[in-house]
Amino acid sequence: MSNISPKERILRVLNKKKVDRPPVICPGGMMNAAIVDVMKSTGHTLPEAHHDDRLMAELARDVHKYTGFENFGIPFCMTVEAEVLGSEINFGTLACEPKIEKEVFDSVSEVVYQDIGQMLKKGRIESVVQAAYHLSRKNTDVPVVGNLTGPLSTSASIVNPVSFLKELRKDKENAHKVINYVTDFLIEYAKLMIDNGADLISIGDPTATGEILGPKMFEEYALRYLNKLIDGIHSLNAPVIVHICGNINTVKQFIPYIRSDAISTDAIINLRALKDEFPSITTMGNLSTFLLQFGTPEKVGEQTERLLKDGIDIISPACGLSTSSSIQNIRALTKTVKEHREYGRSSFLPAQQVH
Amino acid sequence: MSVGKEELFKKLSDAVVNMDEDETVLLSKKVVVDRYDAYEAIDKGLADGMDRAGKLFEEEEYFIPELLMCSDAMYAGLDILKPHIRINDKVEKHRIVIGVVEGDTHDIGKNLVKIMLESAGFEVFDLGRDIPPIRFVEKAKEVNAKIIALSTLMTTTMDGMAEVINILNEQKIRDQYKVMVGGGPISQRFADKIGADGYSVNAAEAVRLARKLVGVLPDAL
Repeated sequence: MSNISPKERILRVLNKKKVDRPPVICPGGMMNAAIVDVMKSTGHTLPEAHHDDRLMAELARDVHKYTGFENFGIPFCMTVEAEVLGSEINFGTLACEPKIEKEVFDSVSEVVYQDIGQMLKKGRIESVVQAAYHLSRKNTDVPVVGNLTGPLSTSASIVNPVSFLKELRKDKENAHKVINYVTDFLIEYAKLMIDNGADLISIGDPTATGEILGPKMFEEYALRYLNKLIDGIHSLNAPVIVHICGNINTVKQFIPYIRSDAISTDAIINLRALKDEFPSITTMGNLSTFLLQFGTPEKVGEQTERLLKDGIDIISPACGLSTSSSIQNIRALTKTVKEHREYGRSSFLPAQQVH
Repeated sequence: MSVGKEELFKKLSDAVVNMDEDETVLLSKKVVVDRYDAYEAIDKGLADGMDRAGKLFEEEEYFIPELLMCSDAMYAGLDILKPHIRINDKVEKHRIVIGVVEGDTHDIGKNLVKIMLESAGFEVFDLGRDIPPIRFVEKAKEVNAKIIALSTLMTTTMDGMAEVINILNEQKIRDQYKVMVGGGPISQRFADKIGADGYSVNAAEAVRLARKLVGVLPDAL
């Protein structure tokens, strides 16, 4: 098992099989590690790499190489989907991620439904898919993670989010219709990524949180369409990670019903306690991004040790990283996890390493 | 048959809590027709309803969709009642400049804070979303605001918050303004780190913080 590749390791974990140590990844998309430090040293920079497939692949490789995260993650934003569905995008700068300049519709009742096959030929879909292809060909040992913006967040990126949230109550029929349409599109987009080399899909859905929606709306919309999307991806035999933002307390009872292969959470959640409560779930997370930006490598190392000791299945940052996070701090995270293997094999366990 | 004043205000408050915009409009019109005091109706009806909605939000009974619908009802009522406020009731209010820092176009959280601050009696100047740091400072000077409230949902834009405070320091006017911060990735630790005067975790908490920062009790607003 000592020669297990990073790809095999994460796929085994997602399949609930034993591994030598947890993988340490940063999936990409909402949670990408394209920090300024890395881009400045390689010259493969954003915002250009949001568009060009080769540059996107190069940047994903740079991030993997410089940070030590054991995956390639693409794309580097949450706007690919909304752009294709019609919203106006501001592509940001080197240090600032792209954002929705203006949502294309004011209400769920005004959404114009396009042909999904046609949409897949538009915008930056082809760039992302090609980047997945380049990455998977060149380094077969490293998993390629394709990232999706979840059904509710994508819907709230094409419909004005304030109207959208109200219409989840006021106009359920059209709200369901829009989210269902967005989900169908996401499944097809995921399929293209998987067919072209993505090994797994990670879904970030920051609008679909308990804090924003509350338990009723979470169950009616978030759980339903996340599961529809997950089932769609599973039918292509690819595993899925779902990241839930913020405090999950009001919707915790639904977490075991999310059919993903791992659940990633924000730093506010005690993953150890979540694991104890729901032993069936595979946990991912959740090193504070505050610490990665403002902490020291020593502090990052200590917190990473804590996650390892708590038996978290996949170690990763807790949320989206600041582009000004320090490379030393990120390396402290990945190095600590990788050295964990040494502890496991050594007969001289450090005193504090009690498992 | 005319209902009593207190009963009408109570119904107005209920209509806001129940997210019933049409009912709020009807009752607000009735306040005008029955020649009740518009300022009192806003205070004991609309604002009271929004305050109760805020409490339900804190108790995790209501969430953001519900709070947004309550605020729609409140604003619909305000549109009807505002023109009928007597001039001498227009007391000087504490002013707050609010906006989402540059780089972020998410503004649900900011809108909620604005709604709650307004219904708590503050005068709020909303710059909108994706605002460069210097604009907060310029606007605060222009309207003579006491508080600058900064919001973001994106980790990559948090630096803009520190920049606002830097500008205040550089211009040597830091002590003239209170800076409060909030939003998804923000924490008390972050607020302390950049030297903000306060952090609030949600919209209801933001009202309490704003009151504390201007040093007033709720009744005095």
